[in-house]
Amino acid sequence: MIADIGFYIVAFAMLVSAIWAVTAKNILHSALALIGSFFGTAILYLMLSAEFIAVAQVLVYIGGVVIFVIFIILLTSRLGDKAEIAPAMRKILAFALCSAMLGTFLHALDRAGYLVNTKTATAASDFASMRNIGLRFLDPGANGFLVPFEIISLLLLITVIGAIVIARKEGE
Amino acid sequence: MDLSTTNFIGDLVREYSPYSWVASIVNGVIAIVAIMAVGVGPSPMLIWWERKVAAFTQARLGPMRVGPWGLLQTVCDVIKLLFKELITPHGADKLLFFLAPALPLTGSFLVLAVIPWDHNLQVANPGMGVPFIIAVSSLGILGTLLAGWSSNNKFSLLGALRCGAQMISYEVSLSLIMLFVVLMSGSADVREIVLSQQGNVTDWWIIKAPFLGIAAFVMYMISATAELNRGPFDMSEAEQELTAGFHTEYSSTAFAMFFLAEYINMVATSALASVFFLGGFLPFAFPDFGFAPIVGVVASINGALAILPGFFWMAGKILFLITLFMFFRWTYPRPRVDQLMSLEWKFLLPANLILLGLGAVFIAFGLILP
Repeated sequence: MIADIGFYIVAFAMLVSAIWAVTAKNILHSALALIGSFFGTAILYLMLSAEFIAVAQVLVYIGGVVIFVIFIILLTSRLGDKAEIAPAMRKILAFALCSAMLGTFLHALDRAGYLVNTKTATAASDFASMRNIGLRFLDPGANGFLVPFEIISLLLLITVIGAIVIARKEGE
Repeated sequence: MDLSTTNFIGDLVREYSPYSWVASIVNGVIAIVAIMAVGVGPSPMLIWWERKVAAFTQARLGPMRVGPWGLLQTVCDVIKLLFKELITPHGADKLLFFLAPALPLTGSFLVLAVIPWDHNLQVANPGMGVPFIIAVSSLGILGTLLAGWSSNNKFSLLGALRCGAQMISYEVSLSLIMLFVVLMSGSADVREIVLSQQGNVTDWWIIKAPFLGIAAFVMYMISATAELNRGPFDMSEAEQELTAGFHTEYSSTAFAMFFLAEYINMVATSALASVFFLGGFLPFAFPDFGFAPIVGVVASINGALAILPGFFWMAGKILFLITLFMFFRWTYPRPRVDQLMSLEWKFLLPANLILLGLGAVFIAFGLILP
């Protein structure tokens, strides 16, 4: 019961900050609202007792992505810059695209039977512990994710090399 | 009785109150008060100590007028700071301007919450203590960046950018060194890392991992100095170039919060260094190398040293490391910004990756001291 109330409070806060992120006039306020939204997601993971994923959410999204977004805002804009207002046509287009995406997601969830989920499930308390996640990642068997894990590391390597190529000055 | 699972105050409250949430709230409030006391309490003393260390390095006496050996000087400074006017610069972003000083302080308190001060003295012990520490330390960077931007001052903005770039860069090294210790001790649980160093001095990770431990410790201290924005790596607040960096526009309590966060961060970083490399709350114990004539003497000396409680050892190690940080500040000249960046990306980062690889090799071939 208390967990349910907690879920709705967190979900409401996430929604409010997500809406604030897209409607704020000040671009840095948007970034800040995004942090609130990400933090709400981390709390939801905690409520699902997936502690490692919650920590990873904070580490990657708040500590990594948002910090870099703020860094770029700091480099490119100054306090007192006027906010760019998007033309009406672009707004309508964006709204249509987002609605289509939401519809697709809802439809897919509905087909899979997850939209209204009445089932409750309890997992072992350490199912998402760091040890278990690590073992599953490096397990070459049918239960493991060794190949996707290695492909992700390859992707990261390509990204790093790409960043170096872009950052390198001509003629060096 | 297994002390590690008991919760004295929690049980006491549970005995008198029929509701379980009362115990949770009482426990939470006590934990918060304890963290704030541990964090805020020693800071004025550390400021006094820093001034004394600075003075002795330069053959001066330092504060001497207020109280014996100037002990009350910091009290006067704090009172002066708190009674100053809180000025908001014209055109500042008010929301972010007053939110920013709270963030570094929050990050430091969250790190203090997972540090084991003694065998049964720890506010929270998440199973993934090390990732948690890495995650919450990013709040400090966030506060710095927001403070510089919202002040509406180009010096603040430049200082914040320098400071942010420096902290992000050195956090990579710090995280890799923490990973090295996790690899060595086989656990990301902060308490488990301390307990993996039980025994005498040669069981501390600084010595137990031959050569690698001392290299990791030296690199940790360099990265931590940069991460803390302390001299010689305090380019973000270089007075000659940027007035006071990102907190130029802050006065009174808002400035005090940044100042406090710097010292609490120093306590937290030193505590982590002591947990990772110097055996945390475990007492100092001499090794006897199995040399028969000295075994008895060494055992009795070690027994005498172990009488002192764990938090005493923890505090002693923290004070030692903090004094080391203060020596760095007053010994080395300040490098240039680009020199600092190339130190991280061209030297420390590759060195740490090699260290991590070598650590894995040492573990695989059993080269760790028994």
